[in-house]
Amino acid sequence: MAQSPIIQIKNASFAFNGKLALEDISLDIAEGEFVGVIGPNGSGKTTLLKGLLGLIVPVKGTLQIFDCACEDMRCHHRARIGYLPQMEGSDDQFPITAWEVAMMGRYGAIGLLKRPSSEDRKIVEEALEAVGMADFRSYAFGQLSGGQQQRVLIARALAQKPQVLLMDEPTTGIDAEAQHRLIQLVRRLHQQYHLTIVLVTHDINLISPIVDTIVLLKTRLYGKGPPAEILTQAILAPVYGQEVIITEGERTPYTIVHDTHHH
Amino acid sequence: MTHTIIEILSYGFMQRAFLASFFIGLVCSLIGVFAVLKGLTFVGAGTAHAAFAGVALAYLIGSDPFLMAVLFGLGTVWITGLVQEKGRMKPDVSIGIFYTATMALAILFIGLMKGYRPELYGYLFGSILSVTTADLRMILLLSAAILTVFFLFFKEFHFIAFDQDMAEASGIPARRLSLVFLYLLALTVVISLKAVGSILVFALLVIPAAAARQWAHTMREMMFYSAGIGVSSSWLGVLLSYWLDIPSGATIVLLMTVVLLLSIFIPRRREEKQKA
Repeated sequence: MAQSPIIQIKNASFAFNGKLALEDISLDIAEGEFVGVIGPNGSGKTTLLKGLLGLIVPVKGTLQIFDCACEDMRCHHRARIGYLPQMEGSDDQFPITAWEVAMMGRYGAIGLLKRPSSEDRKIVEEALEAVGMADFRSYAFGQLSGGQQQRVLIARALAQKPQVLLMDEPTTGIDAEAQHRLIQLVRRLHQQYHLTIVLVTHDINLISPIVDTIVLLKTRLYGKGPPAEILTQAILAPVYGQEVIITEGERTPYTIVHDTHHH
Repeated sequence: MTHTIIEILSYGFMQRAFLASFFIGLVCSLIGVFAVLKGLTFVGAGTAHAAFAGVALAYLIGSDPFLMAVLFGLGTVWITGLVQEKGRMKPDVSIGIFYTATMALAILFIGLMKGYRPELYGYLFGSILSVTTADLRMILLLSAAILTVFFLFFKEFHFIAFDQDMAEASGIPARRLSLVFLYLLALTVVISLKAVGSILVFALLVIPAAAARQWAHTMREMMFYSAGIGVSSSWLGVLLSYWLDIPSGATIVLLMTVVLLLSIFIPRRREEKQKA
C-alpha cells in the first residue's frame, strides 16, 4: 500500500468489563480502504470499533488514528469519525424526526451553545439525499422501517463530513432485500466520498464482494487480506471450526459457518 | 366556593402560591421530559430524599434548610456517579442505595432533635400556601438558572437522551453534559421541596412528561404538552386546595394522575401516527 495508514494499531490489547476482549492486535488501515471485520460472537469486533472511537483505550500497545494516539483523542478528532452503532431495540416512541437525527451529525462541528447555520442545514439536506431519505425528513424516526432507520443513521454519520466511517452490524434486524440495498449504498458512498470504512459484521457473504480487505478476529487477529485470500478453509477453520464450508461464489467464495448470532 | 378568583388573588400568600407553582410546575415538567426520555426519573426521587435529609440536618444544627438541601442534593448526584463508576454498579442499584440511605439519615437527624418540629413535615408533604417571599425569590432565581442552562444545551441534551454513546462518539462531551443534567435535576427537586414535598416531587417530574409522551410526536410538542400539563395542574391544584382546604401537593399530584390516565385512554389521532 502506497499511502501511509490512517489507522495504526500496534500490539494493542483491549479490555472490556474487566476481561481481555482483544489481545495483541497489530493492524494498519490505509486511507480509503474498505475493511470488513468478521469473527464469531464475542470475538472483540465491537471492542475494536470502540477503541477506534477512543471510547476505550488499550491496556497494552498503541492505537493511532489520524496520527493521534487514542488516549489523546479530543472531541474534534471524533467529529471526523462517523459511527453507526449496532441497532438495539430502540425506543420507537422517542420524539425525534429523521431530519433531527441527521442534524445531530453536525452537533460536534457546530459546537456547544450554537444553533445550526444554513450551511449545516445544506449539509444535512445533502446527506439525506445521498442515502435516499430526503422525502422522509419530517417523519418520526421511530416510525421508519429498520432499513430506513439505518439510512438515516448513515446520513447522520455523513453529515459529520467524516474521513472514517465505522459501522457495527449495519444489516442486523432488517430484511434480506433491504440488507442488499444497504450494502450497495455503503459501497456507493465509499467510492463517492473516498471514505475509509471499517464495517463489523457476522455476515461474511454480504460484505465479501464489496470490501478491499477482510480482518478475521477471535480475540486475536487470525488474518488480514483480500477476501479471496482470507476466505479459505485453512484460515477460517481455526476461528469457526472444521465445519466451515466454502463454495464458489459469483465474485468471491461463498462461506457457510456455524455461528449463531444472538440479539 | 364563596371567593372569586380576583379575591383569592388579592391575598399575598395566594399570589406567592400561584407564582411558585407556575415556576415549579414549569421547571419540573420540562426537566422531567429529559429525565423520562433518558430513564433518569429515579435519580429525581433519590435526590429528593437526600435534599430532605439536608433540611433535617439544617433544623438539627440550626443552619439554612435551603442551603443544606442544595448541598445534599448536589452531593448525592456526585457520590452516586462516583459509586457507579468505581463500584461498577448499575445506576438503579447505586441510586436505590442512596435513595434509602439518605432517608435513613433524615430519620436519624429527626430522631436527634429535641422536641417536635412540625415545619419539617412541610418539606415531606409540601405546603405551597406557606411559601414565603424569601422562598419565592429563591425559586424564581433558581428556575431562571436551571432553564437557562437547560436551553443553552438543549440540542446536546436531546442527542444524549436519544443515544449517549453516539453523542459521545460524535464529538459531544456527552458524559460531562449528562452530569450537568443530573445537577439540574437535583436543583429542580430542591426548589420544589417546600412547595410539593420530597415524597411528591417525583410525580411532578414524571407524570406531565409521561402524559405528554402519549400525545406528542416531536420534541417540541412533548415539551409544550408537558409544560402545559405541569403548570395547569399546579394552578388548579392550588385553587382546589384553597377552596376545599385540602393538602396542595397531594391535590396537584392527583390532578396530574387524572391527566395521565386520560392520556393513556385518549390516544393520539391515528392518521398523525406516521408523520411527525
